[in-house]
Amino acid sequence: MSGLERRSDHPAPAASAGANADSGSSGSFSAGNRSTRAGSTQSDPSIARSSVPSVPSSSGRSAAPSIELEGVSFSYPDGTRALENINLRIDPGELVAIVGQNGSGKSTLTRHLNGLLRPTTGRVLLDGRDVRGLHVARLAERVGLAFQNPDRQLFAGRVSAEVAFGPRNLGLRGAELDALVRAALDAVGLSAEAASNPYDLGYSRRKLLSLASVLAMRTPILVLDEPTTGQDARGAARVRAVVAAASEEGRTVIAISHDMRFVAECFRRVVVMRAGRVVLDGTPDVVFGEATWPELRAAYLESPFAALAGARLGLGATPSESSFVAALGQRARNG
Amino acid sequence: MAIELSGVRYRYAGASKAALRSIDLRLEPGCVLGVVGANESGKTTLCLVAGGFAPGVVGGRLEGSARIDGVETTSIPTHALAQHCGLLFQNAATQLSNTTATVFEEVGFGPCNLGLAVPDVIERVWWALKAVGIEDLAPRDPARLSGGQGQLVALASVLALRPPYLILDEPTSELDPAGTALVGDALVRVAAETGAGIVLVEHKTEVLARIADEVIVLAEGSVAIAGPAAAVLRDPILAELGVEPPARVALERDVRAAGLDWPAALAEALA
Amino acid sequence: MSLASVASGPGLPEYVTRRPGGFYGSTNPSTKLAVAALEVVAAFVVPGWPGPLLVLGAVLATALAARRLRGLAVVALAASPIVGSILLINLFLLPGASDPIARLGPFAPTWSGLWFGLQTAARLFAFSAAIALVYLTTAVDDLLADLARRGLGRRVIFVIGAAVQTVPRTIERAGEIVDAQRARGMDTEGQFWQRARGVVPLAAPVVFGALTEVEERTMALEARAFSAPGRQTLLRIPADGALDRVLRWGAVLALVALVGLRISGRLA
Repeated sequence: MSGLERRSDHPAPAASAGANADSGSSGSFSAGNRSTRAGSTQSDPSIARSSVPSVPSSSGRSAAPSIELEGVSFSYPDGTRALENINLRIDPGELVAIVGQNGSGKSTLTRHLNGLLRPTTGRVLLDGRDVRGLHVARLAERVGLAFQNPDRQLFAGRVSAEVAFGPRNLGLRGAELDALVRAALDAVGLSAEAASNPYDLGYSRRKLLSLASVLAMRTPILVLDEPTTGQDARGAARVRAVVAAASEEGRTVIAISHDMRFVAECFRRVVVMRAGRVVLDGTPDVVFGEATWPELRAAYLESPFAALAGARLGLGATPSESSFVAALGQRARNG
Repeated sequence: MAIELSGVRYRYAGASKAALRSIDLRLEPGCVLGVVGANESGKTTLCLVAGGFAPGVVGGRLEGSARIDGVETTSIPTHALAQHCGLLFQNAATQLSNTTATVFEEVGFGPCNLGLAVPDVIERVWWALKAVGIEDLAPRDPARLSGGQGQLVALASVLALRPPYLILDEPTSELDPAGTALVGDALVRVAAETGAGIVLVEHKTEVLARIADEVIVLAEGSVAIAGPAAAVLRDPILAELGVEPPARVALERDVRAAGLDWPAALAEALA
Repeated sequence: MSLASVASGPGLPEYVTRRPGGFYGSTNPSTKLAVAALEVVAAFVVPGWPGPLLVLGAVLATALAARRLRGLAVVALAASPIVGSILLINLFLLPGASDPIARLGPFAPTWSGLWFGLQTAARLFAFSAAIALVYLTTAVDDLLADLARRGLGRRVIFVIGAAVQTVPRTIERAGEIVDAQRARGMDTEGQFWQRARGVVPLAAPVVFGALTEVEERTMALEARAFSAPGRQTLLRIPADGALDRVLRWGAVLALVALVGLRISGRLA
């Protein structure tokens, strides 16, 4: 890990949905934050209100666990070294984005979080306990992973059956199961399609379906692999709303993304990977700030436009659109 | 000398609704035309129709006129379509022929099918590999490439045919930002050096902002707006039509919505 | 950076023109096919023990020289269930046999049964070994390239090539599907019944994926002028020396001769 400090402000579940204005710039624009985000959110009021299913926990799975990779290295059977001594701890309720070039190890890392891959050396700890002996099916109760390609998992004849698959595997039945499925479909805007065949939906909505099927499992930790890739504006807005809602409920959300705007807008911590190592780890303000641009470039990445614009104008760290607007407004007020 | 669609209406075989309702479009050689729209707005269908693959290969019913260099696509035999128009589809994995041992031979698949002499094939393969920047992938096994690499190889394979027009359906979907930039640059060079006309379907409007000359926005099978790239990508209607505008445009919009002025310093400095 | 001058070598790169090495590996693929055909026919047409034993001997000797004995052992292992069952059937149930080895209750294995069974087993092993030898010493691409050179249509070639590729590709895709379903709580490491329930969630995406792929692949092929008329240019041309030709024609003639002799009843 590089020497960048992580902001110690523990993300309280009540933090305003996804906005990074709370990480330092003036609060007077926070009320306006929702409306200044990508316009299409406004044109679909149901999106702003969407919430992620959270049936009151009778099962005792109340708080999200912490998850940690301790000295993890991993090589594929053919010898390719994908992860090199990763030390990464993600606390309950964090909103973490993992970015990096293709081949930098992002997917490999996330597959260690739910046990699909096991470290060659090092350990993976859930709430401080080694997960080595646990089957993937058990880990799936705590860590839900939504894959990048929805077509690798769709098999049911109906959308509702597809969404029910996950929770059913976890032992849920009857009315509770139905409620979960309905809530999950609601959260991604597919309620009207509950009886449709998944392959009758376009790619964008199949991807949302695959997201819903993981949401329905109510896992305290949610891992999303490229959730906005291939999505149009509406789909992307849905994803952002889902991420925000999940975070508001106290879930840990981890996402891999190439979309720096999405990352800067919705996440509070950015982990940059390169050649199997973590090279940067901090808030968007820090990671996308001018001081780290050389390192970002070395990892074949670039800051989001808002950060570049903010730097050009000397506004300080403005990785997200909302923080840029806030900072610009602040300057205007100060004369 | 252009690809021209006039009053095009198209319905897939067995479909109840027309996928394209009314399309008018013109692509000149050397020009890059961007196509954006919400998912299921007809972008892929447009690619198929403009390239002559619909109704030629996939059937269905076409009304109106779709012409490549003055010739109706319906009167071009299917096997000749590839020579008029290089078509690159979305899913990279299915683009590769899976019958070749090396990327070199894979990229040469098209020219070999055309029966070109070996020296010509070699020249085209290297040109295409170099255009996309993947010469070092030449000895590799196409079946063992990553998703992004496969997409680049598929692009090179289409380029190797040196068609006068290229129609590319989301060629950067599996690529990271570096790969996306690479493809954008490659397309600009190809258009400039070979005079190919390029139709580029993209979600990533940044790419279009950088390299497209003109942009059309599809909505429910029709052209909602069309015009020079800079103007179309700034049009506020984009968001309503389900298209994410480029970051710069979105930021400017947010700033103005908050009642602030867009700083002049940004207007010139950043493209 | 101009694309105009591409100086990456005027000729085909060596990884395209490189010929396979090794004792039998460098032999022309069609020759190997012809030899295998001869061996297969000889194993069944020549009566008695000489047929299968000679063929087995020839195949084993070639495999030894080509360092592929281990591969052959694997094939023999794979064939043994079938061969073993046929041996047992002959041993116990050969019609008309009347020289029992022993009496085990209702079962009476016979000497003629054993003799005949062993012979049939030898023929089957010879058959599988001869075919396996071609597979072990020939790359699919070289074989297809050779067939293409001899005029086999590009469609047939594509089908063969794609079929060969399908298995590893499907396995790989199946792997991803298994991962995705496991991530949704499907238990693949637990009890058998729990695993049995996973058949549809595993099989369905594979099938759907394969089916939806077909149309896309067809279009992708057309987009690369696959159905253009005329002869396809060949980049990969396996060697075909004098020895290869002699061996090939020799094998074909011997095959024809054997069949002729057998039909005319000259073989004892």
